Amino acid sequence: MIVQLLGLFARRLLVAIPILFVVSALVFVVLRVLPVDPAAMSMPPNATKSEIEAKRQEMGLDRPLPEQYAIWLGKTLKGDFGASIHFRRAVSSLIAETLPATIELALLAMLLAAGLGFAGGLLLFHWRGTWRGEAADLGSTMLMSAPDFLWGLLFILAFGVLWPLLPFTGRLASSFARPVHTGFLLLDTLIEGRLDMFLDVLKHMLLPATALGLAFSVPIMRVLRSSLYEIDHADYIRQARLRGVSEKRILLRHALKNAILPTLTLMGVQFGFLFGGTLLIEVIYSYPGLGNLMVDAVRNADLPIIQAVALAYAAVVLVINMIVDGLYLVLNPRLRAA
Amino acid sequence: MTPSILSAEKLTVEARLADGRRLSVLSGIGFALEAGKVLGLVGESGAGKSMVGRAIAQLLPPGFGVTGGSLTFGNRDLVHMGADARRELLGREIAFIPQEPLSALNPVMTIGAQFGEHLARIGTRSKTRRQGEALALLEAVHLPRASELLNQYPHELSGGMCQRVLIAMAFASRPKLVIADEPTTALDATIQARIIALMGEMREAYGAALIFITHDLRLAAKFCDEILVLYAGRAVEKGKARELLSAPLHPYTRCLQLAAPSLSAPERDLFTLSGEMPGLARLADLPGCRFAPRCPNVGEICRTQEPRLTPVTAPLGDDPSRKAACFRTEMTPGIETRSHAASSRHERSSPLLLLVEGLEKRYRSRRGLFANTELAAVDGVSFTVAENEFVGVVGESGSGKSTLAKLVIGLETPSAGRIELGGRDAFDRSEAARRRRVEVAQMVFQDPQSALNPRRRAASIVTQVLEAAAPRLSASARQRRAEELLAEVGLPAELGARYPSQLSGGQKQRVNIARALCATPKLLIADEIVSGLDVSVQAQLIALLRRLRHELSFALLFISHDLAVVRKLCERVLVMRHGKIVDQGMTEVVFGAPQHPYTRELLAASSE
Repeated sequence: MIVQLLGLFARRLLVAIPILFVVSALVFVVLRVLPVDPAAMSMPPNATKSEIEAKRQEMGLDRPLPEQYAIWLGKTLKGDFGASIHFRRAVSSLIAETLPATIELALLAMLLAAGLGFAGGLLLFHWRGTWRGEAADLGSTMLMSAPDFLWGLLFILAFGVLWPLLPFTGRLASSFARPVHTGFLLLDTLIEGRLDMFLDVLKHMLLPATALGLAFSVPIMRVLRSSLYEIDHADYIRQARLRGVSEKRILLRHALKNAILPTLTLMGVQFGFLFGGTLLIEVIYSYPGLGNLMVDAVRNADLPIIQAVALAYAAVVLVINMIVDGLYLVLNPRLRAA
Repeated sequence: MTPSILSAEKLTVEARLADGRRLSVLSGIGFALEAGKVLGLVGESGAGKSMVGRAIAQLLPPGFGVTGGSLTFGNRDLVHMGADARRELLGREIAFIPQEPLSALNPVMTIGAQFGEHLARIGTRSKTRRQGEALALLEAVHLPRASELLNQYPHELSGGMCQRVLIAMAFASRPKLVIADEPTTALDATIQARIIALMGEMREAYGAALIFITHDLRLAAKFCDEILVLYAGRAVEKGKARELLSAPLHPYTRCLQLAAPSLSAPERDLFTLSGEMPGLARLADLPGCRFAPRCPNVGEICRTQEPRLTPVTAPLGDDPSRKAACFRTEMTPGIETRSHAASSRHERSSPLLLLVEGLEKRYRSRRGLFANTELAAVDGVSFTVAENEFVGVVGESGSGKSTLAKLVIGLETPSAGRIELGGRDAFDRSEAARRRRVEVAQMVFQDPQSALNPRRRAASIVTQVLEAAAPRLSASARQRRAEELLAEVGLPAELGARYPSQLSGGQKQRVNIARALCATPKLLIADEIVSGLDVSVQAQLIALLRRLRHELSFALLFISHDLAVVRKLCERVLVMRHGKIVDQGMTEVVFGAPQHPYTRELLAASSE
């Protein structure tokens, strides 16, 4: 199995390289076509035309597009994403600060969505054909109908303002000194052995992650329920019943293991959307992640940041999909034989 | 009299329809099974034989329930037992062996995990002891490399191996009763015989009583002590196995006996029983004997009164338990078939239609990261088929016979070799060659359930070829052709308006055949088209193919694992093994005086 996993990852990495090239070229061209002049934006408002022209030459904006791309690509491959026009800092350090925050948030959201989805799917299946099932079905439709940013605003209103249970801005209370190890705060606080800080970070993430994950839990629920339905008629489930295996064990040990497979595929697809959804949620919760950085960069036409963030999004989605495929291989022995 | 392990008295199972009506699915079923004995429940699909097993486990389909009679296991009442108490019995005192071994094991759990779960439930606490017990049981069912097997998943095993695992599990708890529901139907003929022998061996070693549910009367007669023949939910005949097969008293049993092709009996026509088993909804409209509409001996009384299962004196043997539900049992031996007329045999001088020379198909299989191994599914096969000749291809699953069919029809591209159809090279990959091939040859697929588009009506399915061949054809002309085709395969024209889901299994297979006939092909390639069908339906289809052969004069390449059916239908036969033709010749010669050891092995397994 390990050989097959390594083989899968190797193949995926080989495919990821051309994909990232295409994405980078696409982003580069689109941004250059936009009617913004980064040189003018990086100069003080009273700069003269010739000063701006000089800046353009200095930034290399007067050269042909393919050449510009080649230069940018060469630097990017060395890990140099250039300097932000607005923040006047290296883009790489900005990404390094914000990317872990967003990954952390998205993973927690996915975890919540999966937890809710599995629990809900099992309940929906358990209640099939009863009024409870109908009610739960209606409830889940309502959950799905509201978009994530609406949940975000509702949660702030409910648990932040009306009934102040949880914080709803930032990543950590200002009374704590932020530990710096990996950038993943949940991990860093554990490295420091500070459980109080860990819980504080978790509290800060709970509302945005729930808002993000809620809408994604419903499709997981639905898919899990329908695959459980289908599997309930499978020969091996009937044979387990005829062997006298208890219903609880049949559901949790026999049916669920098989029913999880389609939901896994779904979660891989969903993660891309969910990761994109962090953009709005981070803005609503003033969460200092990639989304907020991106919004700032777009507002300021900060091209180096936009390029780098777009690449970061693409890379994260590719990596997550690779992990999901790997999990699929681990959970489905039939794939290993092929 | 020895006390019985399981007894049923007047057992009645009813289904509640959507409109509130109740229909009896099983009625008045009675039997008593003594310890160590084997009871056969025989009948075609729809007879209700599986319902008996499901009633014992109380795992009936939704809307079905036991509404009368009794089922007693030892001294316990199975009908009124609580769900938990019955679950306690299952897997411990009552065990089941399933029909589809490959799908009856959980695909994502290892054999060891599933075996261990079962052993833990029946009371083996320690993990190491469970391991030991599992190994001992797997060895008892003659599985090689048992310890390796425990770490394997079901898909890594063959159907026969899976069934051995399931048999080992069934006997693990030393149950008093084992119920085997068509345990060999899904398996190859050569394996079937071994599995039956294994069940007999295990039953003897572990002293269990066995209920053997099957559609195969002859198999039941060999394996069982007593047989109960079911038709449309009624017991129609009961008696000691051998006596029952040698002299059936109920016309249905007699018809089943005559409809099954045989490898040894002298050539005779198969008995074709008209019509089919009435479905649930139609049962209510049958006031008299349920078999009356199809019975060759039907009389006035049969249509108004329902016969009861009553003791009858058999003409042969002395079986005091012999019973039949028929008013006119004395007429049953009179049901006969014509002895075979030689007229249908093929004349050997016909021109050549299909020529296959040195045909090869290799697949690459990936093992690990880099190592590639090549697997020859078809390995240097050469043969010919003359016009209007029926040629059978036999062999076990994996012998390459289905791949051969796909190569000839052009669904797979050969790795090497030559195929000539009607004197022209069919190996050419051009679109024109493909069209030519389609005009000459058509294929009938194995499973009509998946071969027929569920969203099309039968009339549209059978004339599907015309959509490409004659796109400008008027709707009425197409409809006329559809009616012709349906009539040719013996279906009433009004069935053309139905969807596949509204047709019975036999009707679907007829539609499947009619579709292939639409373009009046010269060669029909049929892949296992009568396997998995009831014997009476199978006999109908064999008769149909023989009639159509005269009317439409096509040749047939008939792929089947069933030697008896091939003997019935084809004058020439090819025996395949591991992708090679190991034996071939006229069917009577190849099967009558087998020369090749593998042919002998196949024949021995089939006539067990």
